[in-house]
Amino acid sequence: MPDVDLEVKLAVYRHFAGTARRPSAGEIGATLGLPGDEVLASFRRLVGKRVLVLDDDGASIRMAPPFSGIPTQHVAVVEGREHFANCAWDVFGIVAACGGRGTALSRCEQSREPLELEIGNDGPEASDWLFHSAVPAARWWDDIVFT
Amino acid sequence: MLFFRSEERLEEWCRTCGEPVRPTATLPQLWGLAKAWYSTRLRRDSRRPQPDEIRSIFGRLGLTDDFWDPRADTFG
Repeated sequence: MPDVDLEVKLAVYRHFAGTARRPSAGEIGATLGLPGDEVLASFRRLVGKRVLVLDDDGASIRMAPPFSGIPTQHVAVVEGREHFANCAWDVFGIVAACGGRGTALSRCEQSREPLELEIGNDGPEASDWLFHSAVPAARWWDDIVFT
Repeated sequence: MLFFRSEERLEEWCRTCGEPVRPTATLPQLWGLAKAWYSTRLRRDSRRPQPDEIRSIFGRLGLTDDFWDPRADTFG
């Protein structure tokens, strides 16, 4: 991975972690001292490496797993910031990425019963809820937005 | 990738959506996966697990069904 892509990747993740919202190419450019079009070119290379997923506009970050660039039903609360996650796995993933302590908010997809789960130093509190993926591991990236 | 309150709610959802019921993971298993994938994500040396590592991670957590194998071709 070219150094610029590594720097852009880190800046994107750290922006999500620090602000709980997606950065624009311009914001990443301002952080790194790079022109926006160079950052956009990096975004597109990072899509090819399965680091980012962009919206249909080809510029806005839809996913920087575990972070979601758009609101979803899966929210990780860490240090008072509410981060949107892409899926059930990623709501735990955001807590793991941001230090390992937080609250996972989601719901049962069938009953819509809310899930609120504290995650501490020893992991999630006791719960008999289940995680389910409709897509087998070998096909997760065939359509990562659906997965 | 979704949460369900119970096996019964999962089976209802699968029937409604026409999706097969796949193997499930417990929340402690999911936490193990989340840590393996993402705990270093904000670090410079972070990298995504490779297929052999993925198989090992799933196996360590007791997720040994072919469903979790990143190279399995047994699921349509």
